[in-house]
Amino acid sequence: MAEPYVVRLRSFEGMSEESHDTGALDAALESADAEAAEFTGATGKLRLFGVDPSEVNGDVLFVVPWRGTAHRIIRANSRHNTLLVTEQCDQLCVMCSQPPKKQHIDMFPFFETAVLVSPKNSTIGISGGEPTLFKSELFDFLARAMSTRPDIDFHVLTNAQHFERDDLAFLRRLDLTRILWGVPVYSSDTDVHDRIVAKPGAYDQVRRSLSLLCEAGAKIELRTVLMKPNARGLLDLAKFVTTALPFVDSWAIMQLENIGFARQNWDALFFDSSAGFDVVGKALDFAISRGIHTTLYNFPLCTVPTDYRAFAPSTISDWKRAYVADCADCSLRNECGGFFEWHPKEHGYERFGVA
Amino acid sequence: MTVWPLKFRERTDGQLLFTDDAGGFFVGSHRFLERLAKNGLSPADQLFLRNNGHAFEQVGDPDWLSFAYRWSRRQSKQQDLSYLILVPTLRCNLACDYCQVSRAPESARGFDWSGETLNAVLAFIGKMKGPEIKIEFQGGEPLLRVDLLEQVRSFTRCKFPSSQFVVCTNLQRLGEREWAFLDQADTCVSTSLDGDSATHTRQRTHDHLTTDTFFRNLSEAVRRLGPGKVSALPTLDVERPPDFNDLVDNFERHGIQSIYLRPINHQGFARRRRSEPNSIARWNQLHSDFIDFLIERNYRTDRYVEEYYFGQCLRRFLRSGADDHVDLRNPNFFASDYIVVDHDGQLYPTDEARMLSRIGRIDLSIGTVADGVDRTKVLLLNSASINNFDADCIHCVYQPFCGTDVVDDLSRDGRVDLARSETWFCKRHISLFDKVVEIISRRDEAARRSVAKWARIPSWGDHMIPVHA
Ligand code: SF4
Ligand code: SF4
Repeated sequence: MAEPYVVRLRSFEGMSEESHDTGALDAALESADAEAAEFTGATGKLRLFGVDPSEVNGDVLFVVPWRGTAHRIIRANSRHNTLLVTEQCDQLCVMCSQPPKKQHIDMFPFFETAVLVSPKNSTIGISGGEPTLFKSELFDFLARAMSTRPDIDFHVLTNAQHFERDDLAFLRRLDLTRILWGVPVYSSDTDVHDRIVAKPGAYDQVRRSLSLLCEAGAKIELRTVLMKPNARGLLDLAKFVTTALPFVDSWAIMQLENIGFARQNWDALFFDSSAGFDVVGKALDFAISRGIHTTLYNFPLCTVPTDYRAFAPSTISDWKRAYVADCADCSLRNECGGFFEWHPKEHGYERFGVA
Repeated sequence: MTVWPLKFRERTDGQLLFTDDAGGFFVGSHRFLERLAKNGLSPADQLFLRNNGHAFEQVGDPDWLSFAYRWSRRQSKQQDLSYLILVPTLRCNLACDYCQVSRAPESARGFDWSGETLNAVLAFIGKMKGPEIKIEFQGGEPLLRVDLLEQVRSFTRCKFPSSQFVVCTNLQRLGEREWAFLDQADTCVSTSLDGDSATHTRQRTHDHLTTDTFFRNLSEAVRRLGPGKVSALPTLDVERPPDFNDLVDNFERHGIQSIYLRPINHQGFARRRRSEPNSIARWNQLHSDFIDFLIERNYRTDRYVEEYYFGQCLRRFLRSGADDHVDLRNPNFFASDYIVVDHDGQLYPTDEARMLSRIGRIDLSIGTVADGVDRTKVLLLNSASINNFDADCIHCVYQPFCGTDVVDDLSRDGRVDLARSETWFCKRHISLFDKVVEIISRRDEAARRSVAKWARIPSWGDHMIPVHA
């Protein structure tokens, strides 16, 4: 039975500008009709259904022949691709967008290959589940991938529950300017944080880990999903960030994404920041005044008061982005990230729409 | 639990401002101070101190580490040389009352760079690290030698393509060649504008026609170069300050929203003519009145003008990393990120040091552009350029936000070992930071709006200042 493999699609001749000798990883377009496109390369023949060959040039696929499946793991026209290390997790956050599963398949060898043929000067996200459950594999992967592709940066999303003092030596060997560690912290109140992630002791552990990352000289992006359970405490969290976590590179306050558990628990979780912007505004004032680079992610611009809009960049990638009927003739549309495509059309913002 | 050392200062409202060495601050009561001094902290006190970053349990724990981080961020670092202040000529076509640069008459000889000096300057630039450097042309009136400026700029552009150039000019006499030099994407203009036309005439040009020419050229510069590329500084005589309204109007008219009020400088010729023991108190009052004036005016017009140095002090009070002003950082290493090259090729650590040396008071040159920096002299100056161990500063609530300026001390008092609290520098900064603390606590809408704009945040209110009873 044929083994799974990684392949890069080539729909056009002469489009390759990779410096690496990756010929063995490429499959070139052979023929295409309305139904399917056929690619051939060192790995054999590949028939893909329902794709437009002109739109997949340079994309990297993970192919499992015996199952007859091919997953796109790298989009050639994206500067930011994400690799899913595992679906396991030791936390169970109330709004998890990708609820954990029990089983785990080690994909690192395939990821290493995929990195070889990723777009130049791009960022590769590492996500899960919780990637550091497989910490030694992850560290090895990073060390190798960073040396084979010096042009690529990494963005690792981790709950920071598994760093230990012993990791410092290894971390310091990596070029830490090229890795951004995205770590969620939901509240400065131990109980609130632990309840949101459904793991007693998580708060204390995340603080210890963040200290370790600081000692290592790592770049840290703090991530806080705004929800009913933590909204009231946002100013306190801002104070905590400025005094206890002053070493973070940035702090992202994120509106809730309507997916996974968040969709199931929407009414209990969604915090209407258009009506209750006060808590967000005060937290933003405080953190920025103390020199923390703070931004609002996934906030439709019209729900943010004018003075704060400069801090709400458009963060939803265009292929995930949607607007609602009211957006039709909005003057802010060019700067606004709109909604995730899967956001309910009854969007839940009381104050909405401008111009 | 261990509490990091706290310093305090009484505010005008009777409450106390507390600060720690890492720049953490809060407003507290006398009763809290008593409990702190007598080792009688309540559980609520302890919780507050812990949450506000003033305490830790064990050396090396997360609270300790974050304090250490915040402390270290408050110290400025030695940096690579990236900024040159060049004086290609000392000659000038104006004779301002208090000329800050000890000028030479326009027709004088021997006050321009020689051919060798020019070559040494280019070689000096050639050895800089880059990738971006900034060059400021000072004088005299540097545009009298636009030929030298052209050579420096084209050499620098070849070596470091994204460099920037600033010409400090009196904008008095500009021909086609001078305009062509200024009107370039990588070049900005900095000039002097002493408030209103009458004051500008009195202090600088001495006749109305010349003043009119200046204002015409200033408007033309803003029109040609765009408003963001022309900056102007007013020099104020404490005895005869200009009308605040006229002053701000004049700056706004030329698209300038950030005004750096400077008192007439004590160096250069100014020193001999005017120097008055009480002038610091008068200056502080004038400056404080100007801040109040701006707050009221900004609120009325809904346009936000700032006093440049006050804005720096405010931002430095609130956060670390606001090290862009050279008088306001600590330690203040000399000949680190910038250096001055005089008309005769001598190197100086600052422009003030150059002027001070020029009037023969002391020799603060630190080498020549041909032979490079004399490190022993720099080290000597640096040893006095740190406030962390100063007998007065260690007791001062404002130490983490403040800076040092040994050249200013030398210039005013002729020595570096005067009690710090006696210096002009200290008196000025105590007053500035007192003003910062006053206005951030004001509760009227006018003050809040200006504070927010000056602090570069959306809005300001009670939530911004930690308070503990
Ligand atoms: S109306 Fe639509 S496009 Fe306009 S700001 Fe709101 S969400 Fe964005
Ligand atoms: S110079 Fe004066 S204001 Fe500055 S820290 Fe020292 S004592 Fe305080």
